[in-house]
Amino acid sequence: MTTPTAPRLQLRGLTKTFGGARALDRADLTLMPGEVHGLLGSNGSGKSTLIKILSGFHAPDAGTLQIDGRDVPLPMPLGRSESHGLAFVHQNLGLLAEATVLENLIAGDHERLNPWWINWSAEAARARVLFEEHHLELAPQQTVADLSPVQRAQLAIVRAADRVQEHRSHGTPGTLVLDEPTPFLPQEDVRELFALIRRLTARGVSIIFVSHDIDEVREVTDRSTVLRDGKVIGTFETGTTSRAELVEAIVGRAVTADRRVGALRPAAPVAKVTGLSGAILKDVALSVRPGEILGLTGLIGAGHDEVPMLIAGARPASTGQLTLNGQAHDLARMTPAQSIAAGIALIPADRQTAGIAPDLSLTENATLPLLRDSLAINHRRNRDTTADLMRRFSVKATSPDQPASELSGGNQQKLVLGKWLQLGPRLVLLDEPTQGIDVGARQEIYDHLLAVCAAGGAVICATSEFEQLEIIAHRVLVFDRGRIKAELEGADVTKASIAKACYETAEEHA
Amino acid sequence: MHKSDLSYQLERFGLVIVWLAFIALFGAMRPDTFLTWSNFSTIFGSEAVLVIVTLGLVIPLTAGDFDLSIAQILTLVSMTVAILDARMDLPLALALPIGLAIGALVGLINGAITLYFRVHSLIVTLGVGTFLHGITLWIGNSQTISGVSPMLMEWVIIQRVLGVPIAFYYAIGLAVAIWYMLSYTAFGQQLLFTGRGREVGRLTGVAVDRVRLTAFVLSGTLGAFAGILYTGTTGSANPSSGTFLLLPAFAAAFLGATCIKPGRFNPWGSVIAVYFLVTGINGLSVLGFRTFVQDLFYGGALVLAVMISQVVSGRKDRGL
Repeated sequence: MTTPTAPRLQLRGLTKTFGGARALDRADLTLMPGEVHGLLGSNGSGKSTLIKILSGFHAPDAGTLQIDGRDVPLPMPLGRSESHGLAFVHQNLGLLAEATVLENLIAGDHERLNPWWINWSAEAARARVLFEEHHLELAPQQTVADLSPVQRAQLAIVRAADRVQEHRSHGTPGTLVLDEPTPFLPQEDVRELFALIRRLTARGVSIIFVSHDIDEVREVTDRSTVLRDGKVIGTFETGTTSRAELVEAIVGRAVTADRRVGALRPAAPVAKVTGLSGAILKDVALSVRPGEILGLTGLIGAGHDEVPMLIAGARPASTGQLTLNGQAHDLARMTPAQSIAAGIALIPADRQTAGIAPDLSLTENATLPLLRDSLAINHRRNRDTTADLMRRFSVKATSPDQPASELSGGNQQKLVLGKWLQLGPRLVLLDEPTQGIDVGARQEIYDHLLAVCAAGGAVICATSEFEQLEIIAHRVLVFDRGRIKAELEGADVTKASIAKACYETAEEHA
Repeated sequence: MHKSDLSYQLERFGLVIVWLAFIALFGAMRPDTFLTWSNFSTIFGSEAVLVIVTLGLVIPLTAGDFDLSIAQILTLVSMTVAILDARMDLPLALALPIGLAIGALVGLINGAITLYFRVHSLIVTLGVGTFLHGITLWIGNSQTISGVSPMLMEWVIIQRVLGVPIAFYYAIGLAVAIWYMLSYTAFGQQLLFTGRGREVGRLTGVAVDRVRLTAFVLSGTLGAFAGILYTGTTGSANPSSGTFLLLPAFAAAFLGATCIKPGRFNPWGSVIAVYFLVTGINGLSVLGFRTFVQDLFYGGALVLAVMISQVVSGRKDRGL
């Protein structure tokens, strides 16, 4: 719906580099009044960088922003975006579950509230009017924890819309940025959310809708902009663009990465998981052969990233059996200690809290699993062991006594990898092993995983980076809403086919 | 070393240097009263109780937990031992183990409540400590109990080695034991990871709940041991003895964490911090300042210690 009016918001030439890597490269975006504009792109395409520049979290290297024809200086000071009529709803919604609907609604509304006295009954009345206007069945005194997921999303969206109403921004309905608001919602609820979005746009509110889900984007948006590798590939009239065209714009012409794994010799599986349920996983079964790297992937909320945690006993599964080297384990009762004893290593995604203890030294971090019940720790030997491990895993640091926090992300991850691989595990589980890691360290991590395979071990790697899977995975399982929806093997393991499988599975229940 | 050697060594021994400077200053001003062996041996002996309470705190603090009940464990055990010995004529060989068992049991209760109900240990031990104080007042009828058998005093304060009461050597022996435990045993590393990288420890197979429970039992037992020494030092038990030890012990534990092994709660730092604080207070009172200097000194030291450690670690938000 293009109208002859001036754009609500216009970004031109937005550029941002992070340590040499271009996250955004001269990106343009034009948003019309009352428009729902989709923002599409795979992981690392620059979507979130663009959003974070709008919210003031990042300062761009270059680029201009105009809102309603006025120049808005960048960087946007943090917290000032609402006064320019811009409000954000992120995936976590930013609601406090223990507080009431009303408390959440007015939280942080400094502009309107009297700082010395809150008139609760007037606020409650105002909230009721607001909910009625938007056809929402919310009561001000309800606790947010008691709301359904879709009601929470509605509350967050209405709160954002309330903050950027006409009389607050300079006389025009504002802009909402909805950043992945749907991945944990069931299909019917998504419809309800879309109805709310349409009612908002009918009043002239403009919406930037960030999503992985092409079908949702096609359903609710007027136009969409696709980003890839920091560049705008194009802006499409969503109504007249096919799903295949959008997928191609997101994934790009298949440029194949150098695949570093070949065919596997047939062998009996070393590890077999059956009936795995828990978190959002439902009855997942998988197996992995000696020397195999099995990739697990999916879009946000697909559940592939839960599998390593549940197999390693980091969180209890509700049901599930693991057979590893002929021994059966009940995953509902698995503990980290048992999984380590069984020869499993888990390299978690959250490096800063689950991978390393940042305050402690490299030696302490690396040798913790070797201590067992030692009553006489030999510090010199531990230090030598660590120095040796740093050499083998090329961890760049000045000394084994350094606190782990002083290392770069890549070196921290190599340390974590070394800590676990020194135990000679038979099954290595990884979750987003290369997040925030430079290209060189990535290749080194791949080398070590391939070495595990060469020694007859097996690797299960959950990741949302398709290219990584193309390089190192023998086989890939694609997850969707807690279930395995596709399996790709051998020559089919390409970035393009994985992406296709991911986006296609979303279509099945559209 | 990752830091230049000189500045790191200065950081490690900064408190020792300030301590010696204090001694030199007070010594120069009052050489006849302050700078005497009898003054120092009294300080070393009588403050052994505070050293042990501080060492007891170091263990749960390393694991990321607070034990605010430790001073009241001291009072309760001190009172119990005095009653068992002086009023009920129970032999010390029986009264002392009962005292230690009470400390361990309270530690077990602290840990069980903290871990089972997932409540912050600060709140649990604050409540349990006050509860214990109530029990102490109850069983002791809010009175000081004296008449404890001289045998106990003999083995706490009367026997001297090199002129220093033997209680001092108990405290030093404990510091050695805790230093060894924290530095050379797997359990020490598990305590450290439980405090500083709990999720990393858990995923590496450390039974973090069991480690935390053990830490509470150890601090409770050390609190009880300090209570026995308190009774032995004074020959009596009074119902408010521990109340004035809690803050000094925390001040010393946090101040101790800025030296010897900066950034970590450590036994030698704690021992030095206790004697640094006590020397300062003793010196100022010798100079004629009155009792208010205690509160100024202990309170100021606690706040100063956490400020220093935050500046050193770059002002990150932290739970402790």
